[in-house]
Amino acid sequence: MAQQPSKSGGKVSRRDFMKLMAAAGTVMTFAVFADWGKFLPPPKQQSGERQMVELPDGSQANVNSFPVNHAEAVIFPKSDDPVLNKEAFRTWQFIRLPEELGGIKNDASAFRMYSMVCLHLWCLWKYWPEDGRKRGECPCHGSLYDPLTGKAFAGPASLQAPPSNVLPSLDLEITSDGNVWIKPPNWSPNGNGVVGFGRFLT
Amino acid sequence: MGLKFTFPSRFVSPLGFLGMLTFVIFIILGITGALLMLYYEPILDRAWDSVQNIDDTIPYGFHLRNIHYHASNAMVMVALLHMYYQYFSGRYKIRNEILWVTGIILGVLTILEAFTGYDIIFSERAELAISIAASLTNSIPILGPQMTEAFFGGGFHDFVLRFYAFHVFLLPIAMLGLMVVHFPRFLVFDIPMVMAITGAIMLTGGVFPVDMGLKFDPNVPPGITVPEWYLTGLYAFLRSAYDKFTTGVAWPGLFIFALLIVPFIDRYKKFSWKDRPIITAVGITSLAQIIVTTYWGFYIDPDRTKSLLERLVIDPVFLYLVMILLVPLSFGFTYMMIKLARNAEANAKVQPKKPTTKSSINLTEKWIYGIFIALLAFQVYLNIAAYYAVLSGMKNYSLFIIGIMMLVFAGMFHIFRHGKSMQKAPPPKPTLPPMPAKAKPASLAKTGQPEAPQIAAGTKELENSVAKENTLAPSAKGSSPSASSGSSASSGSSASSGSSASASSTSASSTSASTSVQSASKTESTGVQSQQKIVADEKK
Repeated sequence: MAQQPSKSGGKVSRRDFMKLMAAAGTVMTFAVFADWGKFLPPPKQQSGERQMVELPDGSQANVNSFPVNHAEAVIFPKSDDPVLNKEAFRTWQFIRLPEELGGIKNDASAFRMYSMVCLHLWCLWKYWPEDGRKRGECPCHGSLYDPLTGKAFAGPASLQAPPSNVLPSLDLEITSDGNVWIKPPNWSPNGNGVVGFGRFLT
Repeated sequence: MGLKFTFPSRFVSPLGFLGMLTFVIFIILGITGALLMLYYEPILDRAWDSVQNIDDTIPYGFHLRNIHYHASNAMVMVALLHMYYQYFSGRYKIRNEILWVTGIILGVLTILEAFTGYDIIFSERAELAISIAASLTNSIPILGPQMTEAFFGGGFHDFVLRFYAFHVFLLPIAMLGLMVVHFPRFLVFDIPMVMAITGAIMLTGGVFPVDMGLKFDPNVPPGITVPEWYLTGLYAFLRSAYDKFTTGVAWPGLFIFALLIVPFIDRYKKFSWKDRPIITAVGITSLAQIIVTTYWGFYIDPDRTKSLLERLVIDPVFLYLVMILLVPLSFGFTYMMIKLARNAEANAKVQPKKPTTKSSINLTEKWIYGIFIALLAFQVYLNIAAYYAVLSGMKNYSLFIIGIMMLVFAGMFHIFRHGKSMQKAPPPKPTLPPMPAKAKPASLAKTGQPEAPQIAAGTKELENSVAKENTLAPSAKGSSPSASSGSSASSGSSASSGSSASASSTSASSTSASTSVQSASKTESTGVQSQQKIVADEKK
């Protein structure tokens, strides 16, 4: 006979025991579905491999050829579907910083890669290299982004509470041949950020 | 659970039909939506193009889309009116709490359904709406970003596809499930009303055809847009540029929560809005605030020399001040209205009672046939006009005409029903004053002093027609009108049995009495008790 769990003072009736077993059985049966919540968020495409920075003309960005104080739109993560690739959420601004911000150096610190999706209402901002500008500007409501950190310093995006005032940013590395690669990201506000939402500045 | 469709023979407020109309509009949306599904493509760069295809190329796509759009607005509007009717007349009281709670949830789901609907057009306005929804979800503390990713996905492709799934299946299924619980005890169905609302929707579709909007292009800054009117109030709060979570999630959440708990905090014993001053005042306040914020949400400073931000941002101090000011204003207004109503009642009581003549439009047979034929001829003309309008490409005009046709049919049915009832029962002789419908059964019971044989006759009817009723113990004291909705409905149906009893034979009256008793068996036993007494009195 199965042992009866003794409560303080008395035995458990057979009816209560059956009910307990039924409850436990139900829990056991349906507990397996708890993990199925993972179905909802879209798969992260964590290939674990780095991806090359592909410029619009098809070539890979190289530290020796990419001009200082210049920016290009880059697709990340690249998929096989040309429609998906055109998504705003997959476009990033690949920026080589101006001279005064350290753009001359030949290492990864001269480059930045920020999500082009403005943190305010998701228009696509661009980097403007002219004198007096040298910042990201959103054409919709005028949010301005600091190219050094990706933080909004003016406009409606700057008024939003963190993490929604700092652009998601990708980590870059440069191989010995000078090619620029994107390291596999950690899509969380504490890591590389969430596109359209933001990133916590560490 | 038995379904009983009634058309009350006495005049009851047309506002009582609002719930049924909401459901009917839901059906219209379902049918038009299903047809639209045959052509709409929920894929990122094909969505807007497919909607344009429906509008321009597919025959009658324009019509179906317009009906779908305007019906969605109509459903939200009718649901809102329905809610306020129940609120101000206190119908959520006494065993109707679950109906109220499910109703509020249904209202929220309706708005979400309408919202996801216009988002999947994926015009620039739709995209802005999606982005606001996502940023609001993101702003929820702790779980926000996870929730956004789980429900909305990551990227526009996901958004369009998932919003489509929500709109087409998940939300409607949830709504249908809730509707099963939200079913009232007495259903009303009136074909003229249904046709009239359908006609109104089509008419509006013809006069104000919904436009496409510009296709969303992430490189093009969007123009100034506002959401649909049912969300513009919320938009006014968002435009105050205050913290997103407070303005976009907390305030509406608080509003919905306050609505949900209304039947549990309303401790008044009476039902009328005049007898529940604070509840009525709160309702008027909410209405005033909704109207003010909705208008404010639409209003954008027309001065184009100012920057966009300046024109859009609403000063939060100003906004909240106005909201707070509306509270004493609305309370004052409510109390004034109650006072006026009470004065009017008191004055009316002082007046000598006029004999209650049934004021009705009595048409002779010739007139009925004449009107019918005229309307029929008009319908033929409208049909031809609509057909030619479509042929010459005037799609919105044809939709307008079709709306008129629905309204004409409503009129035709109304006259047809009137004619049929005229044939069946000639109007009662004017010497016999008919019992006014407002008579309270309790007062009748108390003054009537029913003797034993009459009660026995009543109980026999009950035993014949009802299977099991536990508490049949006749208690004279228990016959207070416990649920005015129940007793007014039973008095309505008993009055109809009364009028038919006077006209037809006793056998007809007994069957009608048994049907009225059957309907009473669904109410509480005390309601049955009062029903007994009415039946007993009718048999005099």
